[in-house]
Amino acid sequence: MHKRITRLATVGIAAAAVGVMLAGCTPANSNTTEDGKSKVVFWQQKFEDYQQDWFKAQVAEFNESQDEVEVELLVVPADTWDQKLKAAQAAGKAPDVKTTSYGNVKPMQATGQIANLSELMDADAFSDIAENIAPFVTVDDGVYAYPLLVEPSTVLFYRTDLLSAAGIDAPPTTWDELLDDARTLTKGDVYGMNIAQTAPDLGWSSWGLQYNAAGDFPLRGDWSEASADDPAYEDLAKFYQTLYTEKLMPQEATYPYADCSFFGEGKVAMSACGSWALGQLSANPDWAGVWENTAVAAFPSSDGDPTSPTSTLGGWTLTVDAKSKVQEDSAAFVQWLLADDDTDRLVDFFTATGFSKYPARVSVTDALAATPEAADNPFLATITEDIVPYAKAEPSYPWDVSLAFATSLEKAMRGGDIPAAMSEAQAAIEDVIEKQKLAGTGSD
Amino acid sequence: MTMSPQSTNRLATAASVALEPEGTAPASKRRRRVAGRLSTHVMDNRTAYVMIAPMVVLLGMFVWWPLLYSFYLSTFEISFYEEPVFVGLQFYGYVLEDPDFWHSIGIGATYVLYTVPAIMIIAFLVASFIRTVGRKVAGLLKTTVYVPTVVSAVITSVVFVFMYRADGGLINWLIGFVGLGPFAFLSDPELALPAISVPGIWLAFGITTLIMLAGMYDIPQSYYEAAQLEGANFFQRTWFITIPLMKNVLLYLVVTATIAGMQQFELPLIMTQGGPTNSTMTPNLFIFNQFKDPTPYATSFSLTAALILFFVLGGISMLIFRLIRSDKAIDA
Repeated sequence: MHKRITRLATVGIAAAAVGVMLAGCTPANSNTTEDGKSKVVFWQQKFEDYQQDWFKAQVAEFNESQDEVEVELLVVPADTWDQKLKAAQAAGKAPDVKTTSYGNVKPMQATGQIANLSELMDADAFSDIAENIAPFVTVDDGVYAYPLLVEPSTVLFYRTDLLSAAGIDAPPTTWDELLDDARTLTKGDVYGMNIAQTAPDLGWSSWGLQYNAAGDFPLRGDWSEASADDPAYEDLAKFYQTLYTEKLMPQEATYPYADCSFFGEGKVAMSACGSWALGQLSANPDWAGVWENTAVAAFPSSDGDPTSPTSTLGGWTLTVDAKSKVQEDSAAFVQWLLADDDTDRLVDFFTATGFSKYPARVSVTDALAATPEAADNPFLATITEDIVPYAKAEPSYPWDVSLAFATSLEKAMRGGDIPAAMSEAQAAIEDVIEKQKLAGTGSD
Repeated sequence: MTMSPQSTNRLATAASVALEPEGTAPASKRRRRVAGRLSTHVMDNRTAYVMIAPMVVLLGMFVWWPLLYSFYLSTFEISFYEEPVFVGLQFYGYVLEDPDFWHSIGIGATYVLYTVPAIMIIAFLVASFIRTVGRKVAGLLKTTVYVPTVVSAVITSVVFVFMYRADGGLINWLIGFVGLGPFAFLSDPELALPAISVPGIWLAFGITTLIMLAGMYDIPQSYYEAAQLEGANFFQRTWFITIPLMKNVLLYLVVTATIAGMQQFELPLIMTQGGPTNSTMTPNLFIFNQFKDPTPYATSFSLTAALILFFVLGGISMLIFRLIRSDKAIDA
């Protein structure tokens, strides 16, 4: 009997010890800091270094400016973002606030992942969003993301010195002119042109040119039918194919499209890059020789019409998680950071970008234009007047659609049969429509 | 055990006899006897059961339960924000009829064909050589061949990307001396998979060599001496002594290298991102890419594809075990 009691006592003590250990592992309340403030977790995707510096300084300033909310900033590298976010969502630990691209706002809204900010922020905050950008973040009457910036995904960068030396007076305005110029400029170790060449890059960087070729995307209207077999896309495929197979562009993707290093290193005379490359090129002292001969223009259109879109308007917003337990505090932080009446902190941000990114708010655009730095910037007018007004919104259909089209585009580019490649894209997109039940859900 | 019609009949007869009232008493006696034997068996082997219990519990917690729960989850379109929708086996159909999934399995199999025979042959030759040299040299060689194993696959990928570059890469520079190239190895759909197989072989042959060497050292030297007295040359000794006696080691190495090859992920992720035109899209990379989309469809599709891949790999392992039956070593 005595032995049995001892055994029971041992088991009881062991169970209690395990209980105490487990209790010690579980935080009392993860939404509150030790000193009783409401804790907002903010994930920022890693961009250029100056952006990390800016976000870090702003978070510190916000935390010091009041005693109720503590924002905890975590910078997450872009290549691990998707899986880290999904793992956090699965574990119920998604960040309260996160950076979100325009293309993801509507898919996330459709699956209930992000909160309606128009219920959490002052109505005045939304009236200042530029008219052409508001639709990117609005679904019905709700605003689901607050925009920080826009940046055209396709801009033509060219070397004035190399073009002059080749007797070319002005940048090309049609695809045919671009091909001719690229042939002229391809000499020795320098290729005439550089453009995306892998499916993951083509998937998004060719959106503007897809629109330019056919007047719309391969999945359009209410997303009931695929349109990749539109003959107009064959011209686009031919354009890419000519550039690659005639060796007018680098033959291997040493750098991804978002990285404009081929141009910076002087290995190409012209390059398609996003406007963000202005910041990259100007910041590298080794590329000073290239930078002083750099100019930008709207990317050529198929028929030379300068008002026809050749670029999408990508960019970044902040969203609040639909399951966040501190939605109001999160929205208060977003409002303080991006929608404040005082535009100075955003003007500082856009000045730091080297005018490679552009405000989404009217008052910030005006304030920025009034700065002396803006007046001196040789690229600002080209991008804000010749490109941004005609750029299209990123399509909000699933990435699988874009990737299917881009995979066929890549096959064609590397010398594959163009109609066969487009038929493959058509079949693949129809498959996505059926399996992901897209028919009737589109509004592009 | 297969169930023949005869055995089914016998079972049916046994069952009907057991159900008759007069049969109840002997049956319960039999049950008691069986229970008694079972309890004696448990008591006799108590220590053994206690010792394997932690492993059974851990396997249950970290392997069997997650696996079963994954099967359960794969019958839903999983959303982390909305109520999951029960869809039965719909996603199994989606994965099985997806040509991209089967294409990725084909790429994985091709990668295995490029790497496994090469790893096995190189490792066998190197191990045979190390076995013939003196102790000190063997020690140095063993350390040397093991080095690639401790180098991260990520670092290897980055180094090989630089080596393969068409503009100034080491490999193009070397083949330039014989008037070839330059080749854009990683941008050519025909060359990309063979190109990523080379670092795959380099990473794996070291550990394979050491395991083969351990197997070779286990073969009694007297066998070789006897064969040499009979006039057997190196190839005859290898074919009739070394290979048959290393059958189990070779089988283990073939199975593990095949499974590792089918699951190759880091090399194509870093060197080619699965391209060009999906020519290096291995199964795990395909599943990983599917997982990234922020839609419930993507989550469920990647989960189901991973479970199907589990069966494919299990099937391949079984096939290899069937083709090369493992036996007890002759001399053991």
